[in-house]
Amino acid sequence: MTRQERAAWLFSAPVLAIIALVFVLPTALAMALSVTDYSIYALADWANLRFVGLGNFIDLFSTPLFWRAIGNTALFALLGVPMAIGASLAVALLLNDATVRWKPLWRVLLFAPYVTSIVATAVVWRFLFNERSGLINRALATVGAAPVDWLGNPHTSIPAILIFVTWKIFGYNMIVFTAALSAVPQDLMEAARLDGADRWGRFRHVTLPAIGPTLLLAAVMSVAGFLQIFAEPYVMTLGGPAQSTTTILYFMFDEGFKWWNLGQASAVAFVLFLMILALTMVQTRIGRRYEWL
Amino acid sequence: MRHDPAMGAQPHDWTRRSALGLLPTLGLAACARSRAPEPLKFWAMSYEGDYSPMLMPAFTAATGIPVDVQSLPATAAHEKLLTAQAGGAMPDVLMLYTGWVQEFATIAAIAPVPSLAMVADLFPGVLDATRVGGRDFAVPWSVAPQVQFYRRDILARAGYPEPAGDWDGWLRMGHAIKRQRPDDFVFMLLLNWPDMLITMLGQTGATMLRDHDTRGNFQTPEAGAAFTYYARIFAEGLAPKALSTEIQDPVAAFAQGYFAIWPTGPTTMLDLHRRAAEIPAERWATARLAGPHDVGAVSGLSTSLCVSASTPRPAEAWALVRHLSSPASELRYQTMIGNLPARLSAWTSPQLGAPILAPFKAQMRFPATAPKVIEWERIKLEIQFAAERVVRNVQTIPQALAGLDTRVDQLLAKRRALVEAGTLA
Repeated sequence: MTRQERAAWLFSAPVLAIIALVFVLPTALAMALSVTDYSIYALADWANLRFVGLGNFIDLFSTPLFWRAIGNTALFALLGVPMAIGASLAVALLLNDATVRWKPLWRVLLFAPYVTSIVATAVVWRFLFNERSGLINRALATVGAAPVDWLGNPHTSIPAILIFVTWKIFGYNMIVFTAALSAVPQDLMEAARLDGADRWGRFRHVTLPAIGPTLLLAAVMSVAGFLQIFAEPYVMTLGGPAQSTTTILYFMFDEGFKWWNLGQASAVAFVLFLMILALTMVQTRIGRRYEWL
Repeated sequence: MRHDPAMGAQPHDWTRRSALGLLPTLGLAACARSRAPEPLKFWAMSYEGDYSPMLMPAFTAATGIPVDVQSLPATAAHEKLLTAQAGGAMPDVLMLYTGWVQEFATIAAIAPVPSLAMVADLFPGVLDATRVGGRDFAVPWSVAPQVQFYRRDILARAGYPEPAGDWDGWLRMGHAIKRQRPDDFVFMLLLNWPDMLITMLGQTGATMLRDHDTRGNFQTPEAGAAFTYYARIFAEGLAPKALSTEIQDPVAAFAQGYFAIWPTGPTTMLDLHRRAAEIPAERWATARLAGPHDVGAVSGLSTSLCVSASTPRPAEAWALVRHLSSPASELRYQTMIGNLPARLSAWTSPQLGAPILAPFKAQMRFPATAPKVIEWERIKLEIQFAAERVVRNVQTIPQALAGLDTRVDQLLAKRRALVEAGTLA
């Protein structure tokens, strides 16, 4: 080992040690837990702990609620990612327009929900979604629509929570997109305008390629975020009605922390990890094809 | 070793900065010397937690031991306590809902009661739930059967001076009220609140577990009858299909007449008294819950006091339990939060003679018995999920009951294995 290499190892050693301690070790332990039947009985007496191999996974795949949770989570991600990113991009484009005044003020106002307490905002939104007295249903009534039991109907509960989530998180990606949009080359934009490209054409062929990498990053983060959605259904509906908003993470929380079936919960965590890994790999491949990476 | 001339040459002279640097050390030393004895830690849920500090000055005055009370939200208490036990961070004294005592005794989180005198003078039947393997693990603190709180004015208008005591009568009364107030509901049965359905199952005589409590036993006519009746209440529009997250303020809803009958426990009296401006005391009263043919046994959320198995100060901890569960403390608590004393001798007090308490007093002698398995808390929720699927027309009753049996068998798999291996009685 040369002196330089030694120095390099020395400088990275603290970080590597921390990563090993707070990331690698817990992950390995969780994987080890997932092949045991660690439950409340093991908490009572270690002698009750047994190695069960893939038993937890077989159990999991035969539990209807787990499949329900996967379905719910997929629906959250499938609807939520386009909703959240679309909202962020649309608002960022609006704010990026030269005619908009007081831009910093708008940015702060639109970013505010992101940094507000989720429990406090959930209470407000539960009132907004109320079937009888909620503002949303009152607004619908003025255009003659029938009242919707937003959080009480298993078919509307996911869309209702998604509206809340979108409102809560779009500000973050809006800021990221605003930064990316400021880097779109203005000379290209003007050239396209002179060549007669319309608004959509300029967006499609100038703006989009320029913000492509940012868009990909936002998509990767949003997919990972929506697959791990937990707090919103927890505070809005407690996983109901009829377990229609129980997500994978919610299921894992119930199994692990509420009922202390840590073996089973670790198996869920492992499945979720594989799902996110697979999706991220697909997204990376798409990114490579469009030369965004 | 290299010698640093700058350090070695000068003697250390006191600058203002170095003196200031010593201040925290002085502070620590002061803490260590002058403090009174370490406070005992006490955890309790809900109103019991919120109001417990008011019972502590008398204890501290008598014994010189301060008490540090932490109030836990009831919805997150179970996981908080399990995590505390796993992490070795249990308080010295804790309140448990009586249905949890079995579980926490099994994981060796709580200590057995050291003297029989502490569990004497109690309402008959309440000790059964806190006895594990022949030993008492908790001192019952309050008994909290559910009764029906009802709106006297709404019932009177429908021709009922008091609510019916049998199921058929309950539905008839419900329809009579619904005819007068078609936009409102009659009963308040939250779809994530299992106590009412568990009571109904007990009343129809359903034995919910079989084979030494190792398998579900829900595909029975008794369970079917309870589910059918429960689902009818919703199908006939007498109760809103709502979770607790949707009825954000049940007291206001009760005051506005959104529903007229509210099966709930004694601490609701505190809510109603506090908000007497919205709902004056003469508008509501209490009665025993209706049963299939007549009033009967009812489940509830009674509370018990336990001492952590790992406390370093068991004698002081039990002294606190003795103080909190004395008839005088329980009576004081009754005036504060409506909790009903578990000590029999407290019931000779005239304070408990109020007519509003009579249904509770009658009901207390008929507690429903729950299966003694540590998975029971979870099974209760699964039963409620099954019922919710029926109410929301996701499944039929036979489908829901069959699914419930499968699910409960799955939850009891570990217990079954331990019972078969002979490790668990």
